Amino acid sequence: MRLDDLAIDNCLKCSLCNTVCPVLAAYPPYPGPKRLGPELERLRREGISTDTDWVEYCLGCHRCDLVCPNQVNVSEMIARAKAAHRKPLVRGLRDWWFARPGLLGKLTTILPALSNFALSMKPARSLMSKLMQIAPQRKFPKYARPDLRSPAMTGNARQRVVFFPGCFIRYNRPGLGRTVIDLLERNGLSVEVASTECCGVPALANGDAAAARSVARANVKALARQVDSGLRIVTACSSCGHMLKTGFGGILEGDKKFACAAQKIASNTFDLAELLMAQADAGKLNTNFQHTALRLAYHAPCHQKSQGIGRPWYHLLRMIPGVTVEDMDTGCCGMSGTYGFKQEKYPVSMEIGKELFASIDAAQPQMVATECATCQMQIEHGTSFKAIHPAEILLQAYDGLAPTKGRKDCSIDECECGPCRQKPEGADH
Amino acid sequence: MGRSARIRVSKMESERYDVIVVGAGVSGLAAAGAAAHRNLKVALVATGPGSFVTGPGWLKAQDILRASAAPELGEAIAFFCEMARRAGCPYAGDISTAKYLPTLLGDFQSVALAPLLLWNAEPRDGVSTAVIGIRGLSGFDECFMAERLSERARAMSSSGTYAARQISLSRDMGAPVTTLHLAQLFDRDPGFRKELVYALRAAASGFQRIFVPGMLGLASSAEQIAEFKRELLCEVCEIPTLPPSIPGLRVFHRMVSYLHQIGVELFRGFPVEEVEIHEGLCTGVRVAAPGHAMNLRGLCVVLATGRHSASPLNGAYAGRDQQMRPLASTGAVMARNLFIAGSLPDSGAGNNGDAMRILTGYRAGNLAASTRGNHAA
Repeated sequence: MRLDDLAIDNCLKCSLCNTVCPVLAAYPPYPGPKRLGPELERLRREGISTDTDWVEYCLGCHRCDLVCPNQVNVSEMIARAKAAHRKPLVRGLRDWWFARPGLLGKLTTILPALSNFALSMKPARSLMSKLMQIAPQRKFPKYARPDLRSPAMTGNARQRVVFFPGCFIRYNRPGLGRTVIDLLERNGLSVEVASTECCGVPALANGDAAAARSVARANVKALARQVDSGLRIVTACSSCGHMLKTGFGGILEGDKKFACAAQKIASNTFDLAELLMAQADAGKLNTNFQHTALRLAYHAPCHQKSQGIGRPWYHLLRMIPGVTVEDMDTGCCGMSGTYGFKQEKYPVSMEIGKELFASIDAAQPQMVATECATCQMQIEHGTSFKAIHPAEILLQAYDGLAPTKGRKDCSIDECECGPCRQKPEGADH
Repeated sequence: MGRSARIRVSKMESERYDVIVVGAGVSGLAAAGAAAHRNLKVALVATGPGSFVTGPGWLKAQDILRASAAPELGEAIAFFCEMARRAGCPYAGDISTAKYLPTLLGDFQSVALAPLLLWNAEPRDGVSTAVIGIRGLSGFDECFMAERLSERARAMSSSGTYAARQISLSRDMGAPVTTLHLAQLFDRDPGFRKELVYALRAAASGFQRIFVPGMLGLASSAEQIAEFKRELLCEVCEIPTLPPSIPGLRVFHRMVSYLHQIGVELFRGFPVEEVEIHEGLCTGVRVAAPGHAMNLRGLCVVLATGRHSASPLNGAYAGRDQQMRPLASTGAVMARNLFIAGSLPDSGAGNNGDAMRILTGYRAGNLAASTRGNHAA
């Protein structure tokens, strides 16, 4: 168990955290998790100011926490320092927006077509680079009409679960949300879509404690009733899942009423694949998969590893006859949500991803499966391969569709997702 | 096929294993390897990597001596070496040899087995050795080492000579540079390797052998090292530095990826909060994952959590029997399919060294492998 108060004395300075830090490996001047975490934390707790721009460079991948033999919460210490860190105006303004993808989503999806047009224009992107320090090399994900709704109740004997969609599914890819719902329904579960906001990972990553607290409160309020009535929460985004399982308790520390509900939410949250594996254990997994000839590379996102649930997607995908899956197992992709979009961090982000890109290139898969939306963006940016959510592959395997054909109900014009981009190729044969 | 069609469901235990090994120190690695080599479904659950990696990764002659009474010592060590070879981090030496290898403090330690890159550093008559430091590197003093080694070698009546040299590398890595920085550059950057070869070659001219700080890659394979050696045109040996020592970490990284490759499922990052025992039978372990615990079911469990972690058996455990099974304070076997390996505190036996850890790990892995069938429900 992680005993936060003891953690600082549990740090024996063995430096193992430094050996797994993706930033330190890619960018040697970075002081590393040992220094930014426990070493400076000792001083911070004495009230000595140790503010440094370096804290902004922490990815929040939690690899340091996982390797620590004494369960020191290294990255949490850095996240706290991030929240206390002061940034210059432009970077501060940019990160204020980056901390609020929910707000950004709400505004851009008033007129999604217009936003997408504006965001894809070259002049707009170079302007953003100059004014907001956003990497001009990056493409923004397309926004879609946020029309993800709870489906009608089907059959009353079914077990009900709550789906926490998160910003990306809500504002950028509601089609993926419908895939998740479909998948759960085909496995004997009925689904209710939670009316929640951003999970708060972007707020923590951008050092915005106020935004993190406000979304955490809103989410706890929105989910408490459902959890109390015994419903399980399902996430399909690894960062949302990570946050629901680990984050709210810490953010709402000292807030007794919320902290207790946050704990309940944490213990009732399941990653989609984790839940499907639990269905398998209960003899309820629908294994009616059709033969699907597909060679996949699988990348496990950092926030999937930090949930300590093994590799459920890897095992699920391997149940589909005809599918071969190779686990890349080459560490962090370097994107870390908004991190890779920041102009000054773009080179670090790409240098971190280099090893993953190389192993994907060596594997030459037909496509890459990974459940994190920004890992997908990074993989498509750094390699020539499509990257999609494994839920898409699993669902289409029930219907015997090779995912290269794309999903018909994808609601986005010129969707950037792997299957949609491959549509023209699929039409050739 | 529509949604109304009959759904074929199947019952499976997703996280059910033949053998669950808890702990990834040398003992846990040996146990997982032994079980996996018998084609079993193995899970390895671990938080940190154990203490072996913070050291040089060699086996002291003294440790071998302490374990020498055990009849399977040779077999266990041979197995460990074979696993290391397959993992791409070969060892040299065996349980009957002992030679003196240099340490960071310019001393010699009696070693029975060591990673290949460390093995050829013994004092040699008539051989001139350059101890090469790197400008800006902290924790490595080539002058001190060369002076001490010359002295110690003379005292051992060896006519080998040692001289200090220093090289500068062009990149600015901030200060202080550690062997970790250099090892990561070695892994990632072919340009760095090239520059290193040129600089070392120049510093090595006139010497028959060079010693460099342990820095030749965290994950470098035997082939990569061999290529590096070929380009150097002289013999190179690594000197293990302060923890985390790169040679030790390299053994750990290579072995863990090897186990992963041969199908061992890894669960890293969270401690086991409970070993579940019902009526003398262990049914699995509960891993303290965030939110809710993760249950792993196993037909057999090997505990190799070391001396420093809190034992998941809590206070109930009072030692192990001949079959490596844990005993309660009453002397009764706690669970007949649970095995204790490594240096888990076993009623006063204390720290028995790495050879004993490997031996007990290997033995526990094999015992678990052969026991598992008998207890299948």
